[in-house]
Amino acid sequence: MVYLDSAATTLQKPPAVARAMAQAVNHLASPGRGGHRPAMEAAEIAFDCRQAAAELFHLSDPENVIFTLNATHALNLAIKSLVKPGDTVVTSGYEHNAVTRPLAALGCQIKVARGALFEPGELLTAFDRLVTPEVSCVVCTHVSNVFGYILPIKEIAGLCRARKVPLILDASQSAGAVPIRMDELGCAFVGMPGHKGLYGPQGTGLLLVEAGRMTEPLLEGGTGSLSARQDMPDFLPDRLEAGTHNMPGIAGLLEGIRYVQAQGEGKILRHEQALTALAARELGRLPGVTAYSARRPETQSGVLSFVMEGIDCEEVGEWLGERDIAVRAGLHCAPYAHETAGTLETGTVRISFSGFNTPAEVMKLVSVVAQMKR
Amino acid sequence: MVCYLIVCRSLTYAQRTERALAKAGVNAHILRSPKSIGGEGCSHSVKVAARHFSAALVVLARVGLSPKRVFAAHEDGTYEEVSF
Repeated sequence: MVYLDSAATTLQKPPAVARAMAQAVNHLASPGRGGHRPAMEAAEIAFDCRQAAAELFHLSDPENVIFTLNATHALNLAIKSLVKPGDTVVTSGYEHNAVTRPLAALGCQIKVARGALFEPGELLTAFDRLVTPEVSCVVCTHVSNVFGYILPIKEIAGLCRARKVPLILDASQSAGAVPIRMDELGCAFVGMPGHKGLYGPQGTGLLLVEAGRMTEPLLEGGTGSLSARQDMPDFLPDRLEAGTHNMPGIAGLLEGIRYVQAQGEGKILRHEQALTALAARELGRLPGVTAYSARRPETQSGVLSFVMEGIDCEEVGEWLGERDIAVRAGLHCAPYAHETAGTLETGTVRISFSGFNTPAEVMKLVSVVAQMKR
Repeated sequence: MVCYLIVCRSLTYAQRTERALAKAGVNAHILRSPKSIGGEGCSHSVKVAARHFSAALVVLARVGLSPKRVFAAHEDGTYEEVSF
């Protein structure tokens, strides 16, 4: 199997992830639900995971690292903490439905900052025009899940800070690869999955919360704290973590984060960018194939979309799948991004890399795509 | 008096407290707060030996971790809240 769908979920994990999960299933109970050894050992693993995430993302307080089910859960928590029904919100033109559907459900007026692919200047101009005093918050992806476009988030965050508009960052495609510094960006919230670039298992995600930021729970229930009261605790992480924790997931996520820390974010990103550049160059040489690649490679991560003239993207995905090459075709739950790039009608075929992919796998993909053309 | 119990608002806060103390060489460990001092239900405390209590307060002040409440645990099994 050549697995090129890491933008959905990384399939190849560091071996320590599965080992930690098996250990957790057999030996860990629930943090905060008992003073016995299995509960306290679970608490240690959970705290280690919070602390590892805090270090990786330069957050001073591990209490502000919240365990979630996935990035969608994290983003819903963030959005529903900051946005009231009917508010005006600015997003980029590259958002995932994990952002736009909650905003639509709240009946928000969504102003979309659009700019051509891999043209950060255009995007910044659009944000500059739209981020006005009546805007309640900005929600922005760090990296497009369709095109791998690394948005100019430092500049967008600076603009938000200057105008005192809170920023929610969707780090679904960047966490673990593109460096994120909470202390420099000043985001109100950063949401991310655990199962993509952090190499944890499915069913894990993280929400990073700015110090002092008010939050609203999506769920109420037991937290192992202030049990005599019927309102949720007003402190983190308990306020946003009702119910029993996913300890096997958290144990696996901890090992995934440790892997990223050991590799160094810069190394993984450079590896993925090199594969992206190789794939774009080789696919672009095939007749009838258009690959959406950046002129400046530093503006694209390990995600690349392409289309084949006269062939439905889903047919390409099927063809590759039948030959044991895993890609993702269609709209990738991101109609905004396709609308911005002009691919809403056709969709695209997306390939996406992890630190475990190789140049040989890219060449295998290219060779199979070339056969389809013939 | 046997030891002091530093009552923390959450388990995670207790863990931060314990690790800050451990880093500074002050031996401490986390336990569930006795029901009689837990206040509004379940909570966790960090237990520190009486001889290390002053040092612990200095460390916690230095790292910006403020105890919610502190109790002295007496040999007869009673607890007495202390101000600090």
